[in-house]
Amino acid sequence: MSAASAALSSDAGQVPVASRGYWANVLRRLARDKVAMACLAVLVLILLAAIFAPLIAPGDPYRGSIIRRLRPIGTEGYPLGTDELGRDMLTRLIYGGRLSLFMGIVPVLNAFLIGTFLGVVAGYVGGKTNMAIMRTIDVFYAFPSVLLAIAISGALGAGIFNSIVSLTVVFIPPIARVAESVTTQVRNLDFVDAARASGAGALTIIRVHILGNVLGPVFVYATGLVSVSMILASGLSFLGLGTKPPEAEWGLMLNTLRTAIYVQPAVAALPGAMIFVTSICFNLFSDGLRSAMDVKL
Amino acid sequence: MKIRTLIGAALGLGLLASAAQAQTTLRIAMTAADIPRTLGQPDQGFEGNRFTGLTMYDALTAWDLSSADKPSVLIPGLATEWAVDANDKTKWIFKLRSGVKFHDGSAFNADAVVWNVRKVLDREAPHFDASQVGVTASRMPTLRTARKIDDLTVELTTSEPDSFLPINLTNLFMASPAHWAAKLAAVPATVTEAPARAAAAWTAFAADASGTGPWKMVRFVPRERLELAKNDAYWNTARVPKIDRMVLLPIPDANARTAALLSNQVDWAEAPAPDAVPQIRSRGFQLFANQQPHVWPWQFSFVEGSPWLDKRVRQAANLCVNRTDMKQLLNGLMAEAVGSVPPGHPWWGNPDFKIGYRPDEARRMMTAAGHSAQRPLKVKIQVSASGSGQMLPLPMNEYLQQALRECFFDVELDVIEWNTLFTNWRIGAKDPTARGAHAVNITFAAMDPFFAFVRFVDSKMAPPVSNNWGFVNDPEFDRLVAAARTTFDAAARDTALAALHKRIVDETVFLWVAHDVGPRAMSPRVRGFVPPQSWFVDFSPITMN
Amino acid sequence: MLEYLLKRILYAVPIALGVSLVCFLLVHIAPGDPLVSVLPADASQEMQEQLRAAYGFDKPLPVQFGLWIWRALGGDLGFSIATGRPVAAEVWRAIGNTFMLAVFAAAFGFLLGAFLGFVAGYYRGTWVDRASSALAVAGISLPHYWLGMVLVIIFSVQLNWLPATGAGPGGSADWEWDWAHMRHLILPALTMSVIPLGIVARSVRALVSDILSQEFIDALRAKGLSERGIFLHILKNAAPTGLAVMGLQLGYLLGGSILIETVFAWPGSGFLLGNAILQRDLPLLQGNILVLAMFFVTLNLLVDLVQTWLDPRIKRG
Repeated sequence: MSAASAALSSDAGQVPVASRGYWANVLRRLARDKVAMACLAVLVLILLAAIFAPLIAPGDPYRGSIIRRLRPIGTEGYPLGTDELGRDMLTRLIYGGRLSLFMGIVPVLNAFLIGTFLGVVAGYVGGKTNMAIMRTIDVFYAFPSVLLAIAISGALGAGIFNSIVSLTVVFIPPIARVAESVTTQVRNLDFVDAARASGAGALTIIRVHILGNVLGPVFVYATGLVSVSMILASGLSFLGLGTKPPEAEWGLMLNTLRTAIYVQPAVAALPGAMIFVTSICFNLFSDGLRSAMDVKL
Repeated sequence: MKIRTLIGAALGLGLLASAAQAQTTLRIAMTAADIPRTLGQPDQGFEGNRFTGLTMYDALTAWDLSSADKPSVLIPGLATEWAVDANDKTKWIFKLRSGVKFHDGSAFNADAVVWNVRKVLDREAPHFDASQVGVTASRMPTLRTARKIDDLTVELTTSEPDSFLPINLTNLFMASPAHWAAKLAAVPATVTEAPARAAAAWTAFAADASGTGPWKMVRFVPRERLELAKNDAYWNTARVPKIDRMVLLPIPDANARTAALLSNQVDWAEAPAPDAVPQIRSRGFQLFANQQPHVWPWQFSFVEGSPWLDKRVRQAANLCVNRTDMKQLLNGLMAEAVGSVPPGHPWWGNPDFKIGYRPDEARRMMTAAGHSAQRPLKVKIQVSASGSGQMLPLPMNEYLQQALRECFFDVELDVIEWNTLFTNWRIGAKDPTARGAHAVNITFAAMDPFFAFVRFVDSKMAPPVSNNWGFVNDPEFDRLVAAARTTFDAAARDTALAALHKRIVDETVFLWVAHDVGPRAMSPRVRGFVPPQSWFVDFSPITMN
Repeated sequence: MLEYLLKRILYAVPIALGVSLVCFLLVHIAPGDPLVSVLPADASQEMQEQLRAAYGFDKPLPVQFGLWIWRALGGDLGFSIATGRPVAAEVWRAIGNTFMLAVFAAAFGFLLGAFLGFVAGYYRGTWVDRASSALAVAGISLPHYWLGMVLVIIFSVQLNWLPATGAGPGGSADWEWDWAHMRHLILPALTMSVIPLGIVARSVRALVSDILSQEFIDALRAKGLSERGIFLHILKNAAPTGLAVMGLQLGYLLGGSILIETVFAWPGSGFLLGNAILQRDLPLLQGNILVLAMFFVTLNLLVDLVQTWLDPRIKRG
C-alpha cells in the first residue's frame, strides 16, 4: 500500500465523532452484510473449535501409529485421514487452529498496540518527536515485508517467540503510519482545539478525542493484516523458521505433509485449505467492517 | 526491462532448442543447496567429496567402490604402497604412482604432494588457504608435514603414532600446483598483498579446476550447475568414464528433486522424497539403496545432572524403539542400527548388549531406575529441521518422542537451526548454547575409525577439541583408543577397533536408530550403476541408453 | 517541482543509511559463530583469532559498519564465508534472475488484476463484480508457495508439460529467449503473480468505483459523454494511484521471492537468501538483504516521483 493511499480520503475532514449512534449504525450495516456475517460465523466456529479443542477433538494430536500413517480421507475412525506419523488429521486440524490463529492475531495485536501508541504520540506531539519516530518507522517500512520477516527470523532462529517478534516488527510500521496520519488530521480539528482551549490535558484529549477517532480506522486496517500474518507465519514454518514440531500448526503441517503429496494429495492439501479458508474469511470480514464503518484506507 | 529484450523474447518463443547432442550426458540432482567447492577440498560433507572431490581429484589412498555386497575397503590411489617407519612410528613412506598427469598437463610427483599438504597445514606457505583448513585438518588430525625423498617418494610425519593415517588420507585431494601458479600469475597487478593474491588465485582455480581425477571440469555456474567431461587420459584405464558428460545440479528440496526426476529434467535424483517411492517405481524409474557407513543417533550427555548417567536409562531407550516401524515411516529407506557399524563389519566386535525392540524389558529397566508413567523421565534433545545426512529429522524425532513415551520418557525436542546445532556439537553439552539439552541428534559418517568412534569417546576429544559432546570420560575407552591407534598391522588394528566398538555398545553411549541407505532414484536409461556400501559412488562404469 | 524532486531524493538518503544499519545489525544479533563453516572442529584459539581478523570480525561494531558501508559504496560486499566468492557478483547475478521472474509475474498479475478490478468496479454490485472480487480476495488469501507445489504436481509430474525446477536447460548463465528456456518461467511466474493480481484487482476496483460514485460522472453522462469518454476519464484519474500500487507490488515481488524460489529451485535472490540463512553465511546474508532493500527504497522513490509527475495534486511534504 502506498503512503498516499494510507491517508484518509476527503471525508476525513468530517471524521465522525465516535458516538453510540455511530457504532449502532456500523453494527446494523455490518449485520446486513451477508458475506461478512457468514465469514464471521466461520471464524467464530474455527475459534471455538480451537479453544475447546480438547473437548471436541476425537483423538490425541500428538499420538499416532506409524502403521496407520497417511490413510485417505474417510477412513473409519479417521474422517480426514492420518498424517505422516499416523496422527488423526481432524484432531490436528482442530488443534492446529490454536497456533495458527495465535500466529495470525498476536503479532497484529502487538503491532496494533505498539504501532497505535507510536503513531498517536508522533501525530499528537509533532515536531522533533514526530520526526524521530516516523523516520525510524520509515526505515523499517523501506523493507519488503516478507524480506524483513525472513531476515529477522533467519537471524534470530526458529521458534514461535522469534516468529512473533519478527512479524510484530513487520506490522508496526504500516499501523503506526495510519495512526499517525489520522491523529495529525484529528489534532487540527475544531473540537480538539476547543477542548484544548477549555483546559483539557493532553492525556484527556488523546483518550477522549483522538483515540475515539483513531482506533476505528486503525482497527479496520489491522483486521486486514491478520490474514497476511497467518500466511507469513505459515511461510516461516515452511522454511523451517517458524513453529517447531510436534506442535500442530497449519503451516508446519503443510510443510511436513508436502512429501506425502504423491501418496495422499487430498490429505496433504487439508492444512493449506484451512489456511486459505481462514485467511479469506478474515479478509472478507475486514472488507465488510471497512465498508460498514465507511473507512477508506 | 529493455523493449529490445522483450521483442527478442517474443521472437525466441517460436524457436525450439538446438538439435540433440550426440554425446551422452548424465544429469544429477544433488541434495546440497550449493555446488560443493571445486578447488580440491570440497565442503558439504561427504556429498561434497562424492561429487566434486572423487570425480575431479584423486587422493594418495582410495576406497574400493566396485562391490555392492562387501564393505568398501581401502585401496591404493595416487600412492602405490606405503609403510610406517619401523623405528619412528610417526614417520610414513608413501611411494607414488608414476606417469600420472593433472588435467592441465603438468606431472603429478612428490613436489605436488608436499604442495597439497602445505596448502592446509603450513601457514607460512604462499598458497596456504585458511578456507580449506576447516574441512581438511579435522579429517587428518595428526598429519603435520610432508617431505620429498625423491620424485616418487614422500615422507609424511604425524604428531603422534597414528595407524589411521592411510584411511584419513582419502580426504586429502591432490590439486595441480602448476595450474594454481598460472592462476596466481594471472591475478591483476592491482592486487598487491600476497594473501589477497593467493585468495584470488584460489577463486580462479575453483572456477577452472585441475586435478588428476577421471572427470574434468568444463563449466561452472555458481549455485546452479557444474559440468564435468570425461578424462580420456585418466591413469587408471579401467576407470575411464563411459559417458561423455556429467551435469551436477544442487536441488536441496526433496520434493523438488523428485519432481525434477519425474518430469525428466534430471536422470538421477539423490535421496528422493520417501513417500514418492511408489510413484517413482510405478513410473518405471529405478531405485537404488544400500547400507552406508552412516549413523543416525542420539548422542547422550554424561555431564552432571544428565538423566542418561544411569546406564539402565540409556539401554531402556535403545530397547524401546521399534526400528522396523520407523523403517516403514521412511518407506523402507533406512537400515536398522544396532551399533555404530553393522554386524559382520570387521569392527563389529559382537557386543554383549543386544539392541532390539523389547519394550517390556525397557519398562522394567525404567521402573528399576525409579521412573513410571506417572512420573516420566524428562529428557531434552537438540535436533534440527534439516541438514546434511540428517535424513528426515523432524518426523523421525517425533516418532522417537512417541515411541519413548511408552517407556516413561517425556521427550522435549529443541529444534534449532542446522548450522547452530552443528556448531554446538563441538562446544559441548556444558555450554549455555546447549540450552540444557541431554542429547543431540547429529548424524555422522562411520567410515574411518577416528570419525566413527574415537572422537566421541576419547576423553581428550572433549570440547572444544572435537565431538565428544557429552564429555564421555572413561579410562578404559582411552586405553582402547590408544591401543588401536598404535597397532600398525591392518588386521590387528581391526581387532583392536572391534574391541573399542564392543565397549561403545555395551556402555551404550548412543541411542542408535538408523543407518542411511543412500537412496537414489534413476531414469531407466541409466545402466551399469553399482550401489556400494559407501558414501561414495564410482561414476566411471555407468552408461546411458 | 524541481525543488520537490530534490527534497524527495535527499530524503531517501537517511532512509537508505538507516536501512543499511538495520541490515548490518540484523546479522549481528544472530546467535552462533559467524565463522562456523570455515573453522575446523579442533581449531586452536590462535587460529580462531587469526580467521576472525582475516574476516574483520575482530574490530568494534561501529568500525565494522563504517568499513562495510564504505566498501559497499564501491560495490564491494565482501566475500562469502561458505564459498569464498565475492558476494557482490553472486547477488547481482541472482537479482537479475529474480528480476526476470518478477517482471513476468508482474506483467501477468498486473494486467489480469487491473482488468478484473476494472470490470468489478465498473459493474459494481453485479455478479461480474462478485466473481472478480472473489477471485481477487482468493489471490491474497492463498499460501502461494503451496499453490506452486500443487502446480508442479499437476503440470510437471502428472502431465509432463512444464519443467519443475531450475532456470533453463543450461542454467541461468546461458539464458536465451527461446521456448526451451521460457517454459521454465511459466510455473514460478504464474505462482508468483497470484498475490499482486489480488492486490491490484482490489485497489483498481476501489479506485474505479470511487471515481464512478462521484457526482460529476453523472453530470458527464447527462451531458452525453460516451462510455469511451467515461472510460478514458476513469483511466486518467485512476492511473497515478494504480501505478503506485503496481510499483510497490513489483518491489514486494523482488524482495519476497524466497518461498517461490525455494519451491522451484529458481537461482534468484530469494534462493540465495535461503542458502545464506541455511549456511549462516553472514556476509552473503547482509549483502543480499542490503541490495534488495536498496532496490525497494529506490523503487519507492521512483514510484513517488512518477506519481507526483502524473498527478501533482498529491505532492507530499
